This record gives sequence, C-alpha cells and structure tokens, in this order.
Amino acid sequence: MNLSELIRERRSIRKSNSRPVEQELVVELLSSAARLQPPIDAGSWRVVYAGTPEANKRLVDCMLAQMSQSKLGKLIPGKLLDVFKKRFTDIPAHVIVMSTVGPDRLTNDRNYASVCGMMQNFQLLGWERGLGMLWDTESIIQHEGFFKGIGLRKDERFVGILHLGYYDKAPRSRKRTPAEQKWTVFQGHAT
Amino acid sequence: MKLSDLVGEMSNPIHFLNRPVPQELMLELLNYAIWAPNDGLREPWRFIFADNQNGGLMQGLQEPAPAYLLVVMREEADRHKREEDFAAVCCMIQNFRLLAHEHDLGVRCTLHDWMYDRSRAETFGVLGSERIAAVLELGYVTAHLKEKPEAPELQLRFELL
Repeated sequence: MNLSELIRERRSIRKSNSRPVEQELVVELLSSAARLQPPIDAGSWRVVYAGTPEANKRLVDCMLAQMSQSKLGKLIPGKLLDVFKKRFTDIPAHVIVMSTVGPDRLTNDRNYASVCGMMQNFQLLGWERGLGMLWDTESIIQHEGFFKGIGLRKDERFVGILHLGYYDKAPRSRKRTPAEQKWTVFQGHAT
Repeated sequence: MKLSDLVGEMSNPIHFLNRPVPQELMLELLNYAIWAPNDGLREPWRFIFADNQNGGLMQGLQEPAPAYLLVVMREEADRHKREEDFAAVCCMIQNFRLLAHEHDLGVRCTLHDWMYDRSRAETFGVLGSERIAAVLELGYVTAHLKEKPEAPELQLRFELL
C-alpha cells in the first residue's frame, strides 16, 4: 500500500474483533510515529496504555463513573449501563494521550498540534499493519473523575483516547469536499 | 513508498530551493490529505494559497519560503467542538506533510502569535468566523538524502494504567 492509498483508505474502526493487540507493537508504532514528526520536544506529550482486561475494566469504570453517578445517569437502567460497559471492555487496547500545558496559548497550541500530528502518524502506521483505531473525544468522558482515573497531571491536558483493535470489515468511506472548493489564492500585499 | 519507510527521514532540516510551487500539485496532495479523521465530517478546514515568487510577502511574520499555505479553520461556538476541529486540522496537515515529502516538497508547519491577531488575519482574507490554525511554509528541497540521520534516542513516555 503506498502512502496516498494508505491515507485515503484508512477508516475509523468502531467494531473490532477479539484478536489481542500486542503491547510491543503499540510501543513500536508510537516510537515510529514520534520519529515521523519534525525533531520534536518529546516532553510535550505522554501516553497511558490500557491493554489487559484488568486495566480495561479500570478505564471503563472511570469513563462511566460520572455518567452512572449523575442525576440523569441514575435513571439509566443498570442493564443498559452494562451493555455500554461491555462495548468498551470488549475493545482490546486503549492508548490515552495527554499533552503538556505551557505558560501561554501559543505553547499550548503548538504542543497540541504536535501531538495530534503524532497521533495521525500512529493511526496510519497501525492501518499499515492491519490495526484499526478510533479517536475518541466524547465529551461524556471529559470530567474530573475520568481525569483523576487516568492520572492526568496538573500541567497536562487530555487530548484523546485511541481505541485499538483488529477488524473484520472496514466501514465504507464517506465523501469529502474536494479541496478545489475550499481553495483561495491570495492576491494582495498584506504586510 | 510505504509510510514506515519514511521513519527518520522527516527530521532532516528543510532548506528551500528557489523554484515555484505549482498549485495543481498542492490541490492534488490536499485531495488525499483531507481524508483525515474529523468529527461529524465537519471538514473544518479551508486553504489560502500565497505564492511568494517575488519575495517579501510575509516579511516579519514568517521565514522566507517560495510559497505559503494558510490553513484556516471555522470556529465553532462550542469549545469542545473547536478542540476536535483543531485536532482534525492537525491530522490533515500531517497527511499533507507526509505526501509532500514524497514529492520532494518540504513543509514547515508553523504557529505564531500574529495568527491570533484578528485584524492581521483579516488582511489575508480570513473571516470573522474563522481563525488561522497554522501557516505552512512550502518549497522544493533537494531530493532527500536516503541515508537517515542517526536517530536521536527517543524517550517515549509510555506508562501503564
């Protein structure tokens, strides 16, 4: 698969099969993903990994803690909550990514942009090896209980969780707007 | 070329050649790059291309480069969506960097304080409902040395939950 095909054919994988994901592979792909970036400040991001049934259970518990304790959550039947939990505990592995918060907006944006680029590299490198991912930023997981559970530090911000798994079938593509329709040529002299 | 073959090559410093950057190639590469994951298929990006063959176009704001691509992002009212959109734009830019590298085009993705200045951004045609996510400095570079620089020891910060 060449690079343009790889980028064009990668999909977000919402349904993985039960084939286990090797931690060594995840580490290898993360190292490669980092080395596809410009010489980066390796200190600007950190990864927490959940890849065992026990760790996955801990993760899901802190993801759903807020939901099950909230007023609305108390109205959710226990069975439904279990279904929800199972959906996540069935995912073989999770990569939780946080980036370092700097003293100003520019540093924050740079750190955030850099780690997002790394995560895209990681998703592509995974796809090259048949490993699917879903970048989860659901607002439902963005709460104190969750941040505490994943060990987010004071000088960090949560970027996203990548749910990892092998898949039986990739979803179909959804059409993109051609770049030509989002293209302007600057004519003037601004500065 | 496989992506895994590029590992290590992307960290070489970029020195531009004095050659024009064709718009057609930019569009061709962008039409692949936009296959980045983006929440709700909002496709939050837009592009403003500025040729700098005559030089001096963004003096004082950016380093000299044969061309610039301003990557502009629609600003959602919701903070969470804005964050997701910025992430999507960064993934799209990353795709573009990788694709450009294959064509011996160097891309320096830059973020600077002036990009937050609304009136400054407006002079480039950025709308009030938008912001500059990044400015890409573009140009041809000498065909990449296939030999990869000695990889600096990378301290991966990887911990178990």
